Amino acid sequence: MNSALDTAGPQAAAIGQLWWLMLWLCAAVFAAVMVFVGAAVWRRRRASVARTERRLGLAVGAGIVLSSLLLCGLLAASVMTDRTLSRLPLEGALQVRVIAHQWWWEVEYEDAQPARIFRTANELFVPVGRPVVVTLEADDVIHSFWVPSLHGKKDLIPGRTSTLEFRADQPGRYIGRCAEYCGLQHAFMAYDVVALAPDRYEQWAAHQRQPASDPQEATALRGRELFLTGSCMLCHAVQGTSAAGRHAPDLTHFATRAHIGAGRIANTREALAQWIEDPQRLKPGVNMPTHHLPADDLAALVAYLETLR
Amino acid sequence: MRVAVLLSLGLVCSLATAATGDWPMAAHDHAGTRYSPLTEITQANVARLTLAWSFSTGTSKGQEGAPIVADGTMFVVTPFPDRVIAFDVTRPGAHVKWTFEPKPDPHAQGVACCDVVNRGAAYDQGRVFLATLDDQVLALDAASGKELWRTSLGEAASGQSITAAPLVVKGKVVIGNDGAEFGVRGFIAALDAATGREAWRAYSTGPDADVRIGRAFVPVREAERGADLGVSTWPPGAWQIGGGAEGGWISYDPQLDLLYHGTGGPAPRNALQRAGDNKWTATLFARRPDSGDAVWAYQLTPHDRHGYGAGNESVLVDLPLHGRDRKVLLHADRNGYVYAMDRASGELLSADPFVAVTTSHGVDAATGALRDDKSKDPQLSRLVREVCPASAGAKNWQPAAWSPRTRLLYVPHQNLCEDTAVFETSHIAGTPYLGAESKMHAAPGEPLGGFFAWDPVARRKAWSLRERFPVWGGALATAGDVVFYGTMDGWLKAVDALHGRELWKFKAASGIVGQPVSYLGGDGHQYVAVLAGVGGWAGLVVSNDLDTRDATAARGFAGAMKDLPSATNRGGMLYVFRLP
Amino acid sequence: MSSACRSAAAALLLAVALPGCEREARRFDRMPTPPDERAQADALGARPAGPPGRGMRERAAAGDYREDNAYLLSQGKMYYRWFNCVGCHAQGGGGSGPALSDASWAYGHSPGDIFTTIMDGRPNGMPSFRGRIPEEQAWEIAAYVRSLSGLAPGDAATNRGDVLSGGQPEYLREPLRPQDKPK
Repeated sequence: MNSALDTAGPQAAAIGQLWWLMLWLCAAVFAAVMVFVGAAVWRRRRASVARTERRLGLAVGAGIVLSSLLLCGLLAASVMTDRTLSRLPLEGALQVRVIAHQWWWEVEYEDAQPARIFRTANELFVPVGRPVVVTLEADDVIHSFWVPSLHGKKDLIPGRTSTLEFRADQPGRYIGRCAEYCGLQHAFMAYDVVALAPDRYEQWAAHQRQPASDPQEATALRGRELFLTGSCMLCHAVQGTSAAGRHAPDLTHFATRAHIGAGRIANTREALAQWIEDPQRLKPGVNMPTHHLPADDLAALVAYLETLR
Repeated sequence: MRVAVLLSLGLVCSLATAATGDWPMAAHDHAGTRYSPLTEITQANVARLTLAWSFSTGTSKGQEGAPIVADGTMFVVTPFPDRVIAFDVTRPGAHVKWTFEPKPDPHAQGVACCDVVNRGAAYDQGRVFLATLDDQVLALDAASGKELWRTSLGEAASGQSITAAPLVVKGKVVIGNDGAEFGVRGFIAALDAATGREAWRAYSTGPDADVRIGRAFVPVREAERGADLGVSTWPPGAWQIGGGAEGGWISYDPQLDLLYHGTGGPAPRNALQRAGDNKWTATLFARRPDSGDAVWAYQLTPHDRHGYGAGNESVLVDLPLHGRDRKVLLHADRNGYVYAMDRASGELLSADPFVAVTTSHGVDAATGALRDDKSKDPQLSRLVREVCPASAGAKNWQPAAWSPRTRLLYVPHQNLCEDTAVFETSHIAGTPYLGAESKMHAAPGEPLGGFFAWDPVARRKAWSLRERFPVWGGALATAGDVVFYGTMDGWLKAVDALHGRELWKFKAASGIVGQPVSYLGGDGHQYVAVLAGVGGWAGLVVSNDLDTRDATAARGFAGAMKDLPSATNRGGMLYVFRLP
Repeated sequence: MSSACRSAAAALLLAVALPGCEREARRFDRMPTPPDERAQADALGARPAGPPGRGMRERAAAGDYREDNAYLLSQGKMYYRWFNCVGCHAQGGGGSGPALSDASWAYGHSPGDIFTTIMDGRPNGMPSFRGRIPEEQAWEIAAYVRSLSGLAPGDAATNRGDVLSGGQPEYLREPLRPQDKPK
């Protein structure tokens, strides 16, 4: 779900509450204003101007006082919402580092033991009920991290490090989007936040820490050779091979991902072939070049990438 | 009968002379003292030192080599193409006995981080051993120059090169590889001197079996306890491209039967990509020469953020420290501290700064840990200013000398700070794996270079000299209490070993970045020889004709060395001096 | 304003805006074909040794390799860093590799020469990137390399990057002649 009103965590819930309060309050004020406008339009003219002036004066005064009180009330509500957002209990928080690039998300799971650090892209898996502290950095231009169902927006600014804390209280797949115009493909810079039950999350994390397994079948082996001797390894990384590029998504467990190209298309065999063949047609301006591969090379590469489970 | 006695006496005398008057390896001896016991040149007469002969090496890149002299012959190795020239020093003048062209692969020039230098050969029992830039180790017959064997230790295409001078220990040729700037996994290897077959290889990163940490290893500090620290202190897989490759200097103590060497800095230079202590880079090791097994190790700069590494030389001296006579190892490191260690046990005795340091606040005496200054930590897209020492270190490869008479360590060095920024970098085999850019400049209030005498018992400088450029060449100490060193603007200087007073100097045709040596010539006189030809990392500005308008060129040195092209040109001359 | 003035103003605005079209054009769907060097040389005559001056255009006689396109030059700049060119050549000043911002070219300075240097490597240490760097990206890098020494038109060359500044931004650079070297 992608609605800020369909909340799945305390941060989004607090923001949602403020939103509803403002909606109803402003709706009520709007209705009242419309009533007065209507009354002003349809009432008959009175004879005494002085009395009208006095009543008008009273009405305007009352309006000013009431508006001020309402605004102060909204201000107080906003401040209290901010306080709630900043007071998410953070014991045992999962530490994640997100670096935004044009136009994909690099995700690194931190750990006190460096050998347990692992990297993925365009997907953020979190355990349900456990707070997550996300460190936000940007590689090139300003992006913005926004998962409406879980939290509000926070910018990722090159040269600065900021943090965002949230907690997902219900399992599910939540769509996130880049919320700051960052170039030609800003519209196709989505990512998924997937909340799993804690034990399933640990299983997932343990699997992500594994290096890529060796492919068994000949086509896939040939695909790996093409991957490592061609241009793929210049930008991509696959743990367990010599590919150690940092400028494109880490593909070690690529086959487990739901989408290609930061949410551009679903991760299916046909879509993957289209993507490798000509990413520019699907996402013009993306930094992955068009390759013009012969058909059997393309098939081998796709076969290899499908083994990266 | 009398003839036989006279002949054998003559033989004994010449052997003794050969033993004391020779310079058979780049560091003169296994302890790495670079000290000549010859006494003819003294403080009183060195002012009359004059040029005996000179010879052009035919190359014009950085001449970092040490001419070695043994058995009446001087062996000089030039920078790429690593030509070996043998001179007969029993006769006056430059008489060339033979020249050997190893013909290294020219592609190796592309993976030399710090100019295509060669630090010299080593002589042992009638054979000369050297390494070439393209990772080959060769043995030549000293008399004829014929190649005896050639062993390849790797591929230049992977980013690996070798510039070090080998050390021959107990019939094995020991040498380390270069290439930390290219993500090459560092190692030190021992080859059988007779056949060239590899006896053992110890890596700088990876599982204990690769690093040769086994039953013989005794962890001294808490940080050294644990299994496979060369894997667990890195993100997964990062140790395989983790660097630690720097063919630094190797020393050997025959009584303790221990080899001492330091591993290079970790790769990439961008520390953000390699969380953890990154063992065993920037580490001093003591190993058994027969098996390569580590006996103790001390990581000087854990999680090296500034590209230091620990490849500098360890000089082995016996000193009274901490109350008793000890077998000590003195190591002036890139991170700006002079370390004194008990070389038998691996215990840290002292670590004192010899330049102004901003990247750390001392070494914790109890744990041996370097107290890092967090404000100098790298951050993505942030500029960190005044990182002192700069990545070139307070002292780089240029080796120090020790005089047992004055009990002082003579240290050539530089005063460099840098502004640096990091960026994400991919590892592409054969290309640099850095992720960092720097601009170096002189430390505030200091000139770029310096030369000082360190008193390890008092733990302070006895005297120090200021130099216009980094003193990028080695030091020579002699029993005549004269110390020699060369400057990058071409001066070979002789100074008083006790007070540092300049006694003599000679302007060479090009900047000196090599090791001055001293030997006994065939005529019974003491000679001093040095190669002149500016280059090395500090001299790339001239030797590679760089554009100094880009201050980040030469990994930051261009910013600091803008004046070098006006002070000297490229060259490649061998100079030999003696008293008239 | 009179109608004559208005027409003149409109014409002037159009004249100023139109040349920007080439500078900003982005074609993602096709690979640039390499210039026909012989035709190019015929069209331009022999290159003078002096600085080209800003704004001078070097148009390929055939093919659509462009070095007056700001987008392609900035992509070239990005790949120059991504593929570790900056590790040996710095921001043009050189290091373990030669300087690219001066006027001395060991293997030629034409776009085709630089492209060949990147793809095939060179004997004294430049590695070969054929089969690794796709050709269109290699052309972009070649155009950027030319801009490092001021050979690309100044109005399309890149501005300073978000990195430690090594020297002048590319759009201000001019080749360093031997007689201009600081002494």
